Amino acid sequence: MQLGFLVDLRLCMGCKGCEIACKVENEVPLSTWRLRVKYVDVGSFPETKRTFTPLRCNHCANAPCERICPVSALHYIENGIVNIDKERCIGCAGCVMACPYGAIYIDPQTQTADKCTYCAHRIASAMMPSCVVACPVEANIFGDLDDPMSNISKYIEEHQGNIQVRKPEKGTDPHHYYVGGGNVTLNPLASIREEGFNLFNNLTHLPVGGHH
Amino acid sequence: MAHEIIAATNAVVVLDVALPGIVWGWIITMNMWAKSIGTGIIFVAFYLLKKYPEQTGFIRLPSVVISIVFIHLFLFFTVIDLHQMFRFWHIFFHPHMTSMITIGAWLATGFVGIILAMAYFLYMKKDEAMYDKLLSYGVVLAVPVTLYTAGLMAQSTARELWQMPTESIQMMLAAFLAGSATMILVGGNKFSDPIKKDLGLILGFSALTAFLMYMTELIFGPMKAEEVIATLEFVKGGEYTVMFWIGQFMAFLIPMGLVYKSIKDKSYYLLKIAAVSALIGLWISKHVWLVIPQLLNMS
Repeated sequence: MQLGFLVDLRLCMGCKGCEIACKVENEVPLSTWRLRVKYVDVGSFPETKRTFTPLRCNHCANAPCERICPVSALHYIENGIVNIDKERCIGCAGCVMACPYGAIYIDPQTQTADKCTYCAHRIASAMMPSCVVACPVEANIFGDLDDPMSNISKYIEEHQGNIQVRKPEKGTDPHHYYVGGGNVTLNPLASIREEGFNLFNNLTHLPVGGHH
Repeated sequence: MAHEIIAATNAVVVLDVALPGIVWGWIITMNMWAKSIGTGIIFVAFYLLKKYPEQTGFIRLPSVVISIVFIHLFLFFTVIDLHQMFRFWHIFFHPHMTSMITIGAWLATGFVGIILAMAYFLYMKKDEAMYDKLLSYGVVLAVPVTLYTAGLMAQSTARELWQMPTESIQMMLAAFLAGSATMILVGGNKFSDPIKKDLGLILGFSALTAFLMYMTELIFGPMKAEEVIATLEFVKGGEYTVMFWIGQFMAFLIPMGLVYKSIKDKSYYLLKIAAVSALIGLWISKHVWLVIPQLLNMS
């Protein structure tokens, strides 16, 4: 079994339902996110549009975080999920430095690394990840990539030629796919970030890495 | 390519969580800096004791004491940087051997054992022969202890700027630079002029080579990857430009100039200024190189 995710960006409407569901399900503390939705505006007025990209751990087959973790706190489980043992984590932040997707953070409450686990605890109880359940347009598709009859496998087959992953040049072999993505949505260097041009400006951010 | 995409699409991120931030900060800089001195002094002591055995016997004790102090400083900063420092023992009891952090911890522990044994045989047993024998093992082990941080940086897949083998060479050069600078300060006027010249040359050539590597990365690095272009913008007019050049001048250019003048004039008093400048500049250079890749957006 190899569990994987696919997000159809053509369906996503940026409601952030997945983000909130994840926050609630996993009790993700303030200033940290396991899953977040990025908004990018494209074009010049009046020819503009807004894109939405949910971002979470890619559960790579060749995960740099798993490799760099000195105590195997980050480890693979049998269904392919890269899971985290917070009791074992020493908080060295090597995984934060290694993850090319910025998906790992130091939990300010536990002072250990944390990230999306594809809701491994829910899957163990035969439930879907909370973000999948919350999505009103079924843009999040989750399932077994090894099973050709699973929804995700069928979706990938139907959309061959329009499937992308983030940063394929890193060789991480992500198990998280996008349909309808492109440079603007998936390449962080292909869009600009300027304070004053956000929907919310002058935000106060808590220190990265918790209260270290 | 990303610049062209931005120009073509006018794509602006209007809502995202600003995750970039400095996770490995000055504590890790202290870690690398202290380790450079702790292993570098062993390299230089080995060289001097082999080449000038008659004149350099007095460096045995200060060399091993400095190595012990700075390697323990390195270990101290390693541990206090952990967000769960009291779980440090997990590295030894739940080791994951693909991680350079684990390998480094084991190597450093072995190195500490050797330098403590050196100190014991020299101070307690007055056994210089055993000290010298252990020093040979210490030099061999000091190489991977010096290099493992470069391996860790290479394993940091997200940080394109840190590449192997560049970082490993930089780590060795930092050790030679810091080791020779420290030895110049320790030996003072007790060294003969040929020894001072040798130390000056080690310092000068380490500085020259390290400087050339930084400059070639600055010029040619951006030709390989967009992330390197974006990262180096922080030192090419960005917020770390001044700090970067202060580091380059203090660590490399000023020591090179002072070493040249010392050797040319056969007057070695300037070497101490070069040594202090190199040690301060090394910290600054390493800090800038550590921090700038962390300022890049990963998403």
